Amino acid sequence: MNVGPLLRITNLTKRYPGVTALDDLTLDVPRGRTGLVGANGAGKSTMFRLLLGLAQPTQGRVEVCGIDVAQDPIEVRSRLGYMPEHDCLPLDQTAADVVSTFGELSGLPPRAARQRASDILDLVGLDEARFRPIGGFSTGMRQRTKLAQALVGDPELILLDEPTAGLDPMGREEMLALVSRLGSFGISVLMATHLLDDVQQVCDHVVMIDAGKLVVSGGTDSLLERTGIVTVDVGRHGEELVAALARVGVVAVAADAVVEVTINTDNTDNTDNTDQANHVVPEMDLVRDVIADLGLPLFRLSTRLTSLDEVFLRRSAVPT
Amino acid sequence: MSAVSGAVESGRGAVYDRGYRPYEGPRGRRGAATYALYKASMRRALGLRRTWRQKVAPFVLLGVVTIPAIVNIGIGYVTRDRLQDSFEIITYREYVGVSSALLLFVALVAPDVMCPDRRQRVLPLMFARPLIGFDYVAAKVGAIATILFAFSFLPQVMLFIGNMLISDSALDYFTGHTDVLWKVPVAVLILALYYAVIGCAIASLTDRRIVAGAAVIGLLLLTSIAAGVIIGDRSSINEGSMAALISVLAVPLYLRDLVFLGHIEARSPLAGVERGGLAAAATYVVVLLAGLVVLWRRYRWVER
Repeated sequence: MNVGPLLRITNLTKRYPGVTALDDLTLDVPRGRTGLVGANGAGKSTMFRLLLGLAQPTQGRVEVCGIDVAQDPIEVRSRLGYMPEHDCLPLDQTAADVVSTFGELSGLPPRAARQRASDILDLVGLDEARFRPIGGFSTGMRQRTKLAQALVGDPELILLDEPTAGLDPMGREEMLALVSRLGSFGISVLMATHLLDDVQQVCDHVVMIDAGKLVVSGGTDSLLERTGIVTVDVGRHGEELVAALARVGVVAVAADAVVEVTINTDNTDNTDNTDQANHVVPEMDLVRDVIADLGLPLFRLSTRLTSLDEVFLRRSAVPT
Repeated sequence: MSAVSGAVESGRGAVYDRGYRPYEGPRGRRGAATYALYKASMRRALGLRRTWRQKVAPFVLLGVVTIPAIVNIGIGYVTRDRLQDSFEIITYREYVGVSSALLLFVALVAPDVMCPDRRQRVLPLMFARPLIGFDYVAAKVGAIATILFAFSFLPQVMLFIGNMLISDSALDYFTGHTDVLWKVPVAVLILALYYAVIGCAIASLTDRRIVAGAAVIGLLLLTSIAAGVIIGDRSSINEGSMAALISVLAVPLYLRDLVFLGHIEARSPLAGVERGGLAAAATYVVVLLAGLVVLWRRYRWVER
């Protein structure tokens, strides 16, 4: 099994007349579930086209599963599944026919494709609807069919472009639940979205791009811990704790029935956050000790996780 | 596959988790994908796995193109003891491309096979597979050409077998007509490939089926009318004109004549034209190449 990064992108630039869609991007993406985050027009779809070998980079190199896309795009595509954002299904055919045909197009023998189509439609919750024409499907069912056609070829990596677009809250939760399970099937996920909540919910790695430039790339948890704030719940003794922390040189404020303690970590330009916990632990120990010295009840002591929206907004102002 | 591990209640039904089974069997590449698309296009063109309405056109066509063979055999059978020479309403040569139902079929089916992929934006899904533009075009043109070939060839087979059976000696008939066994398939292949490429090329230029269908019929009929107007009424034999080649519809029929007769038929609008056969062959190749270039440009999916 290939143990290298799932994606290796080196100095990748893609220019169209009058616009630079991707600008000197270099990053590695590990196996697992990765969110590709950026505003509309950030370059997410261009990135997908480059990964699929459907566009040629102006410069730079893309490797998928250790294979250079420029050298062997066919081999790369045989290892990928792709779920576009837009409507892309033949509406006058049944889900079973469509998924089975795309299984064959992925290189599966007809019998195996039919069997897998049945299994996958079952997996995505379309077992009973599989013999109905897709034209009669709801948006949620169409999204599931799109996911099924991407999965039927048993890809190593599946590219999901805004998989929750147009779904109601329940449909969105169900889709995210499906996506989050793909990792347990041995399928890596690259999910392009501008909905950072979706990424926060299902992805263990995040790549943020803005206007074609890399903003940040790292583990979701490590990015979320970058707030530098520890939330402490000591019941109604918040003001007392704030004063005690001030005496030992720690800045804290009481807010919304909790105390928010600012931790002195440098987190403005470090994209590799693997040692984040080492920075946080001594500060948290200090807070804990102050609380113990005061004899206050401690209901909760945790780092406050920022939202990815905050990370994106903060980081996109200072691109790496 | 793992056992059922539970159900997610959605309020609109229940999703039962039966797990996921990786695929570890053989896996094809471009050839397999192209063949899969070819089969899917054939199914679509024939209306298989679709509603009965979609099946009407292809099978009505098959019925229509078979009628001359049935009539020929039927009358031949009834009059077998009364006529000295064998009865012949239609010859094998004339049977190639005789029915305008084939043109209607191309105008109906080529857009139906090509346009929805573009209109419903299925192409990105296709080209995310181990498939390139050449494979896509080969599969689509191949599917339509195969059906046209089959629908033109099967009635000929029926006619041949029928004539053989109603003749005084089946063996004599067979040995006396062995040239038909290669001439018919070659002429039918020339015709099928030509109409398939033209139909697909025109259909690739729009995502609206009705526009594509009208354009196919329009091109074939208008060029045919234009050729007729330019040539005028020439009742004599061997008084053709090079302007006959304007008729896109008729070009493969001149090649059919070359296959069967070795020259352009005397009553043909191209008859008597010096090197008319060569010009017809060149026109055929040019039209075919033009169609393929259009297709290649429309499905050159990798952007530079």
